[in-house]
Amino acid sequence: MGARNRREPCRRCALPLSRSRFLQGSQDNVIQAFAFYLFATIVIASGALTIVSRNPVHSVLWLILAFFNAAGLMLLIGAEFIAMLLVIVYVGAVAVLFLFVVMMLDIDFAELRAGFTRYLPFGLLIAVVLLCEMIFAVGVWNFADIGPDTRMGTIDPDMPNIEAIGRALYDRYLLVFEGAGIVLLVAMVGAIVLTHRERGGVRPQNISKQIKRRPEDATRNTQPEVGKGVEL
Amino acid sequence: MTMLESLLVVLPELILTLGATDLLLVAAFSNKPDLGRRVSIYAVLMLIACGLALLGPAGNGGAVFGGLYYADAFSTFSKVLIYASAAIAILMAPRFFDRRGEMRPEYPILILLSALGMGFMVSSGDLMMLYIGLEMQSLAAYVLASFMRQDTRSAEAGLKYFVLGALASGILLYGVSLIYGFTGTTSYQGIGAAMASGLSMGELFGLVFVLAGLAFKISAVPFHMWTPDVYEGAPTPVTAFFATAPKIAAVALAIRVMFDALAPATDAWQQIVIFVALASIALGAVAAIGQSNVKRLLAYSSINNIGFALIGIAAGTQAGVAATLSYMAIYVVMTLGSFLCVLQMRDAQGRPVEDIASLAGLSKSQPALAAAFAIFMFSLAGIPPLLGFWGKFLVFDAAVAAGLFPLAVIGIALSVIGAYYYLRIIKTIYFDDAAAPYAPANSVVENGLIAVTAATVSPLGYLLVPFLALTAGNAAQALF
Amino acid sequence: MTEFFQSLGMSFEWAWGVATIAGILLIALPLMLAVAMIIYADRKIWAAIALRKGPNVVGPFGLLQSFADGLKVFLQETIIPSAANRGLFLIAPIITFTVALIAWAVIPFGEDMVLANINVGLLYVLAASSLGVYGIVIAGWASNSKYPFYSALRGAAQMVSYEVSIGFVLLSVVMFAGSFNMQTIITAQQGHVFGFINGFAFNPLLFPMAVVFFISALAETARAPFDLTEAESELVAGYQTEYSSMSFALYWLGEYANVILMCALNAVLFWGGWLPPVDWAPLYVVPGIFWLFLKILIFFFIFSWVKATVPRYRYDQLMRLGWKVFLPLSLFWVVLVSGYLMLTRYGGVL
Repeated sequence: MGARNRREPCRRCALPLSRSRFLQGSQDNVIQAFAFYLFATIVIASGALTIVSRNPVHSVLWLILAFFNAAGLMLLIGAEFIAMLLVIVYVGAVAVLFLFVVMMLDIDFAELRAGFTRYLPFGLLIAVVLLCEMIFAVGVWNFADIGPDTRMGTIDPDMPNIEAIGRALYDRYLLVFEGAGIVLLVAMVGAIVLTHRERGGVRPQNISKQIKRRPEDATRNTQPEVGKGVEL
Repeated sequence: MTMLESLLVVLPELILTLGATDLLLVAAFSNKPDLGRRVSIYAVLMLIACGLALLGPAGNGGAVFGGLYYADAFSTFSKVLIYASAAIAILMAPRFFDRRGEMRPEYPILILLSALGMGFMVSSGDLMMLYIGLEMQSLAAYVLASFMRQDTRSAEAGLKYFVLGALASGILLYGVSLIYGFTGTTSYQGIGAAMASGLSMGELFGLVFVLAGLAFKISAVPFHMWTPDVYEGAPTPVTAFFATAPKIAAVALAIRVMFDALAPATDAWQQIVIFVALASIALGAVAAIGQSNVKRLLAYSSINNIGFALIGIAAGTQAGVAATLSYMAIYVVMTLGSFLCVLQMRDAQGRPVEDIASLAGLSKSQPALAAAFAIFMFSLAGIPPLLGFWGKFLVFDAAVAAGLFPLAVIGIALSVIGAYYYLRIIKTIYFDDAAAPYAPANSVVENGLIAVTAATVSPLGYLLVPFLALTAGNAAQALF
Repeated sequence: MTEFFQSLGMSFEWAWGVATIAGILLIALPLMLAVAMIIYADRKIWAAIALRKGPNVVGPFGLLQSFADGLKVFLQETIIPSAANRGLFLIAPIITFTVALIAWAVIPFGEDMVLANINVGLLYVLAASSLGVYGIVIAGWASNSKYPFYSALRGAAQMVSYEVSIGFVLLSVVMFAGSFNMQTIITAQQGHVFGFINGFAFNPLLFPMAVVFFISALAETARAPFDLTEAESELVAGYQTEYSSMSFALYWLGEYANVILMCALNAVLFWGGWLPPVDWAPLYVVPGIFWLFLKILIFFFIFSWVKATVPRYRYDQLMRLGWKVFLPLSLFWVVLVSGYLMLTRYGGVL
């Protein structure tokens, strides 16, 4: 096969993002900086509101706003594919189901908070430990050794990032990608094994049978004589 | 290398993937009676096919998929053990589950998928492969632990395993991300190359976290807490599976990570491994003494045994790795044999019994089973004429050769303590007043397997030693 | 357009900004007008099929009916139920309306007539349409009333379900076009079949997907026969039950803007967008936007036709169709199409 054969013909290469057109002509990136601080502020603020909201539905909605603005940040660094996936997968599907569940749940917040205060010291302890470790790790971070240019493969600036991600996923990391698929399959099998049960005495809908039913099967025309009923 | 050649190298994984998905379809759409047994037979055949596939390029094809996957003597050695234990775990299940009508076709399928994950683990050449393999194996294992979902203990075992396993995966991932962040790569070779120029603090942290995550998977002290509960609660065939295949995979994975990726940091991990090994041996020996449930006892026994296996790794030499591999091979045979015997512990109504006291008088009612039990216990204790002794001898020999005298001395002393509780079982079987007799052990497959494993563990097994030494030596060679 | 404003002596940033705003207005305002007219068309078609006259009082042939309705709701009082969650209640119709508009940014109206020619255009459309569900879910929850809430749950499940198969359908188109860019997808359809027919739908391998996409588009916009979110016999008016005045009108506008968008997507993805139906030079004299409008109108007619003739699905039938029919079919089709392309375009397997 060879990876070269799979390469798209060049005339099909996607057009440049409008963002780059924007970058070419401008000597200042004021709008970009503005957008960055806007998105970043909203992400942080809505993240905080997710935690402090009293109403769980509000929490989820703030979370969605955070996702959405995170997608905006992705756009700013030129990862438009990731940004769109973030919106489609997280905002459009995962968060909807999340919202769906939270709306139907009857969550007793007093009870949750009781547990919260009980485990607070322990939680704080772990948080402090992890924080110390992070500070420690950042403290010894050696920027010179691990600049992005030394760690990643060379990037072709003309390659749209869908193609770059596709190449990484389907060429370089094919095996891991397929493995991840099997992990999901295992999770699905597991969920079914643990919860599925055959219930007796149910009459499931047979939809194709319902659709195939025609008037002739269900009705018949009779002409009963006067004074006589219909034989059913 | 062309795609086709690469695919031939991962042939066992292909067989398992396609086989498991096919069997899933069969399980979903077939309505033949006794589906569980039929699927089990196919699953065992598939595992045998995987074993045969290892004779081809899958056994020695080298690195494929850009170094994500290694097919060498080391992975082959581990995979043979994994597939064999998975096959036996499938074979011993039907009768156990049948009594409650729980022999569902998903059992062999989940074991196949778990074996697939373990294949990924032992062949991994990249941290991402490591994680995917580990997660695939663990997810299947969580489900297997609570496979008897009507049984509260089984459900509890699954839940405990899942919660703690997820925590361990998180710890492992944290370590992986640190190592990736500080070395800039996830491939073992790349990490080794990056660490060769000196170990940074971040890498050290990552290493500790990765080892902690792996220690959980092999249930080494101090990450062993889940083991007794899960082993006790899970259905016995599943426990037998947990005690063997995942242990081999995780130990092999640990060896690969330590000697491939973290080789330049040997000094750093050696101390950790020495501590973990001694702690496991000590705790496994001491805590087992008070147990009255035979599955809990075997759980502590497995913790104890992992400690011995780690001594070989702690030696940090090729001989040490070979010793660990040999040890694991012998351990698998002994453990499977023990669990097959435990499976025969059923009262007159056929209900499983797990109380050690109920073994009393077995020597009178079923002398052959009693003898087999005794052989396995003696062997686990490491009493000389049996094969278990040889495994312990190898790891201590490697430790001494590497200059770790204190480790060897303490280890031997602790193994004497450990022998106590194995001998207690034998005393119960042979010298205590008879308890209610068990139902007769009449399954041909299970009795045959007990006979084979017992013969392997008995002094006859020394005939296999040259072969074992050769293959384990080759396997260890592949890493150096 | 940026160049034009630059030629007027503006700096690049200003020209870019003004051009973008002008572009947005050029799309949004005619779209609102189109929505008003298309509501009228919908009612007329529906009436004709039901052997009625439809709106015929306001203006010639009732043409101004929609504007009269608009004026009416504009003058009404906005009623907020006392138990409602005020903020969310008001924001929900705005979300629906906004989301219905933003997707238009990437729809190409002609060879150079597109507001944002981004290379993930199709994903952007998918992202925008996946946001539409929030308007319904939030409205249902914030109304604090049981029928809207049922409707919200139905809507959430329905839209998420059909998005899955829409995603796979789009993948087969993307694989043929080799790009997520809308313009590239359209130009790839030029002479796609026999070298002179424009449109993926004429390819036997893609026609079934065109059908699946059309039906999924009905479900995604919650149009009949999949309008379970506002099934009036069960749920009063569904999620709109508590709405009145302008907030109600915003739903109305958003819904029809979405319908037109889905018609446009059908046209762009499968029927050649702004290309004429046949790759024949004289046809290119007609501006591309005309062809696109023509195709949109045809699809809108089919939408109305379906609404007037097909009875509403039961909820379990709806879910069954999405998960048990369309999902496996489209998934299988992705494999089929990629296998075909692998053999024919990329030179064999392995």
